Amino acid sequence: MNAPAKQYQLLFVDDDGDFLAMIQDFFASLGEKIWQIHCVTSADQALELLKVRKIDLVVSDVNMPMLDGIQFLHILNRSHPDLKKAVITANATEEKRSACLAEGAELFIEKPRSPEGLRSIFIMLEELITWTPREGFQGVLRRVGLQDVIQMECLGRNSSILEIHNQQLRGRVYIEDGRIIHAQAGDRVGENAFYELLSLPSGEFQLHPFELPPKRSIDGQWEFLLMESARVRDETIAAQASANGPASAPGPAPADKSSALAADLAAQVEETLICSGQGEPLYAWQCPNTSARITLLQNVAQQAASLSQLIPLGNFDRLEIQLADSRAVAQVKTDRMVFVRVSSGSEKTARQSNE
Amino acid sequence: MNDTLQEWLATGAIASGMLGCGMRLPDATCLSYSFNELCPREGLDQILHQLAETTATLAGQGLAPRRLTWTFEQGQIFLFPRPDGALLVLATQPNTEAAENVDALAEEFFSLNASH
Repeated sequence: MNAPAKQYQLLFVDDDGDFLAMIQDFFASLGEKIWQIHCVTSADQALELLKVRKIDLVVSDVNMPMLDGIQFLHILNRSHPDLKKAVITANATEEKRSACLAEGAELFIEKPRSPEGLRSIFIMLEELITWTPREGFQGVLRRVGLQDVIQMECLGRNSSILEIHNQQLRGRVYIEDGRIIHAQAGDRVGENAFYELLSLPSGEFQLHPFELPPKRSIDGQWEFLLMESARVRDETIAAQASANGPASAPGPAPADKSSALAADLAAQVEETLICSGQGEPLYAWQCPNTSARITLLQNVAQQAASLSQLIPLGNFDRLEIQLADSRAVAQVKTDRMVFVRVSSGSEKTARQSNE
Repeated sequence: MNDTLQEWLATGAIASGMLGCGMRLPDATCLSYSFNELCPREGLDQILHQLAETTATLAGQGLAPRRLTWTFEQGQIFLFPRPDGALLVLATQPNTEAAENVDALAEEFFSLNASH
């Protein structure tokens, strides 16, 4: 004998009684015995009901007297953070949509004007109510976003696996206690794989719980790995542009030479400093004078802002300082500032490699 | 301003993607050329004075630069300081002929006589 199917509890909140009656009739027939539908006409009634009944999905109107749908979502986010939420409104605007999604709504739907529209909404809500969130989180990879996720994991000394993929390539970055210990992308492993993944022009990533990798292939400092990945990416983009012309198709870059060079450089970091956007030191390694370096980074930030006003070249990315026997990179962002200096030995290697 | 330097700067730096260029001599006199309206001459002169100070600040921290590269989303600003105090600044768009020629221009700049 089969076990009875789970019955999902849906709560509709709308001050329009006619709409609720229509929903009740239509969805009850479509959902058969799988959906149990509850209807209330105000947010406070909904909150009362939520105290006494376990609800799987709340579908709320936006324009309601007393407590509107956006405020209601805000309260639900705090009182019932795991509850699935959708919004349905007759007056859909981009502002409302953004506000509702920001308050945790998974769906933002315009009220239907036909039975076909109601059927579409039923399908969407059914998809949402039966969807099981995966462990970890998922996001869309943009150039800055992926680096930020890695930095967040490393600064937080977290352990996780970052899975990155697009149509051409799939790979993983293993982070243990805030250290990048292994990466693999296609057939590549180690820093080559890491730089190739970070060079992807677009794709998606998921953050998974940490598991031990098959091997440990990376031993460098994460700050340098991220800085080098930015440099390698710029170089490969430039190489592609000059080799293939502007019509070339985007895709993973051939990063062999750059990656080998970067691996060599990573072993010869002489100095690293990371501080917050306000200049509070977060991490310093072999920094001869931390406060002087912070002053330098703040000076770089001021100069970059001033340069931007004199020549409009978009957002500042970094300052590279070529010294007689070494090279330093200063990166300044709103929330952090980074200074890394690489020794003379690696510069020689860099020159040899370029030759 | 030395005629040789002036002529070299006016003609030698012109390349596709070069927004502007400028030079600051040891006596703090400046000469600059704009090749794009985004990069006015007055701005280049200001950049030269500003980056002269930056160079001094870096030197004070044991980081006397041979070259500074300021990378922005839509372009780069290069600064080359000579031991005699002369500075060359180049503003280029990325992945252009001008950006590729930066090293060659810098070599010429280091070999020029700026003593006049």
